[in-house]
Amino acid sequence: MTRITFQRSGGFTGRTISLTLNLDDLPPDQASTLNGLLTNANFFNLPADSAKRPVPDEFTYTVTVETGQQSHTIRTSDTSAPESLRPLLDDLSLRARTQRA
Amino acid sequence: MSHRHSIFCIIPPHMLKEIAQRGSPVQRSLALRTIATSGQIRSQRTAWQAGIAVMAATASAGNKQRAIYDARQGSQLPGTLVRSEGDAPATDIAVNEAYDGAGVTFDLYYGVYGRNSIDNNGLKLNSTVHYQKSYDNAFWDGGQMVYGDGDEDLPPAQRLFNRFTISIDVIGHELTHGVTQYEANLNYSNQPGALNESFSDVFGSLVKQYQLQQTADQADWLIGQGLLTANVNGVGLRSMKAPGTAYNDPVLGRDPQPDSMSGYVTTTEDNGGVHINSGIPNRAFYTTAVEIGGFAWQKAGLIWYKTLSEKLNTNSNFQNAADLTFQTAGEIYGVGSLEQNAVAKGWQAVGITVNASGGIPTPQPQPQPGPGCLTAVLRIFGLAR
Ligand SMILES: [Zn+2]
Repeated sequence: MTRITFQRSGGFTGRTISLTLNLDDLPPDQASTLNGLLTNANFFNLPADSAKRPVPDEFTYTVTVETGQQSHTIRTSDTSAPESLRPLLDDLSLRARTQRA
Repeated sequence: MSHRHSIFCIIPPHMLKEIAQRGSPVQRSLALRTIATSGQIRSQRTAWQAGIAVMAATASAGNKQRAIYDARQGSQLPGTLVRSEGDAPATDIAVNEAYDGAGVTFDLYYGVYGRNSIDNNGLKLNSTVHYQKSYDNAFWDGGQMVYGDGDEDLPPAQRLFNRFTISIDVIGHELTHGVTQYEANLNYSNQPGALNESFSDVFGSLVKQYQLQQTADQADWLIGQGLLTANVNGVGLRSMKAPGTAYNDPVLGRDPQPDSMSGYVTTTEDNGGVHINSGIPNRAFYTTAVEIGGFAWQKAGLIWYKTLSEKLNTNSNFQNAADLTFQTAGEIYGVGSLEQNAVAKGWQAVGITVNASGGIPTPQPQPQPGPGCLTAVLRIFGLAR
C-alpha cells in the first residue's frame, strides 16, 4: 500500500489545493506511473525542507508518501524543487486542481 | 513673491528634486517652461539653476531596459532571450504582453513617482514567459518576473486560467514586489506579508488605471480581470473595492478575502494568508482613492508610494501602515487636509483607526519655505489644490 498526500499553497491566487491518493485504488497504469515518478525523484532521500525564504507568489508544495515500511514528508517550492521531483509535482498539481471542490 | 505666479519663491533644491521626480513628463515640461519665463529667475538665479539642473538630470535619467525570455515550458530561469528593448513585436502574444506591461509599469513609476525602475537605479526588467507546463501562476523570484501559461495547454473545457500576462495589473503586481524588496522589504508572512501583497495589488491596479487613463470612480479595481476563463463563475481573482466577491465557483471555491479587520483570517497556509488578508489594506486604499477623487495614482498613489519607500520597514503591520500613510498625507497635503482625512476614512472603513499623532510632520533641520510656496509648487505639478 502506498498513499500520497499532496498540498500546494500560496501562488498569486493564494488558493490552497490538496489531494490524497491511494495508489492501490488507481488504475494500474496510473499507479505505475506515480511509482516511477517517486523512484525517479528518489523521494525518500529528499531533504525535508528545501524551500528557502518565501518568494513572493510562488507555490509551496508539501508531499507525504507513506508505505507499509516508511513515511516521509517534504516541503519545497517552484524555485527550490530539485529537477528530478518536478514531474511528480506537475502530475499531482494537475490532479489536484482539476478535481471538484 | 510674484503677483502673476505664486511659484516664484525660493524652493530648496532638495524639494525641487523631489517634486521633479514626482512629476509626469507633462508636469515637468510645464514646470521648466514656467521657470524659463520667470522674471525672477535672474534675481534667484542660484536657487533656480540648482533646481533646473536637477530637473534636467531627472528628465533624462529614465532607463527603461526590458528583456523577455522564454522558458519553453521548463523551469530553468531565465530561459532563452526572445525580445530585447527596442525590438519589434514578437509573434508570441505572451512575449508582447510581458514587454508592454513592464513598459507601462516602468512609465507609471518613473513618470509619476520619479522612480527609475525597480531599484530606482535603472535595473533591467527581466521577464520569463511560458514557465513550466499548465502553470497557473506568476511570481517575482527576487530578480525577475516569471509567468505561466495558465491552462492554455489543457483542453478548453478544463481550463480555469488564461495565461498570466493577460492582465496588466498582474504584471504591475509582480514588478511591485521588486520595488517593495528594494524599499520597505516587508517580510513575506502574516501582516507585513499581507501589506507586501497589498502594495503589489495597489500599484498593479494603478498601472492598469494609468494605462486606461481612468479616474478612481471609473476603474474596476479588480486584480486579474480577464484571467479566469468562461468556465469559471467570477470576474477576477480579487476585488479591491469589494474583497470577497471576485469569484464563487464549484471548482475554484469562493473568494476568501475579508473586507475588514473583523474578518481577518488566521492561518498557516499561504505564509499566513498574505493573499487573503491583503483585502483589508486593499479596500483601505480603494476607499481613500475614491474619497479623494480623480486619478488614483496622483494623490492616493503618491501617499502610498512615499509611505512604502520612506516609512515602512520589514516588520510593519496594518496599524503602522495606517498611521504612516496618514502622517505622509499630512506632510504632503497638510494636516487636516481633504487628502489626509480621506486616508483616515479609508482605514476606518476597514476597522482601523489611525493614530492622530502620526499626522505631526517630522521636524526637519533644513530651512523650509513658507507653506504657501510649497502648496503653489505642488499645485503647478497637479499634486495639490
Ligand atoms: Zn504577490
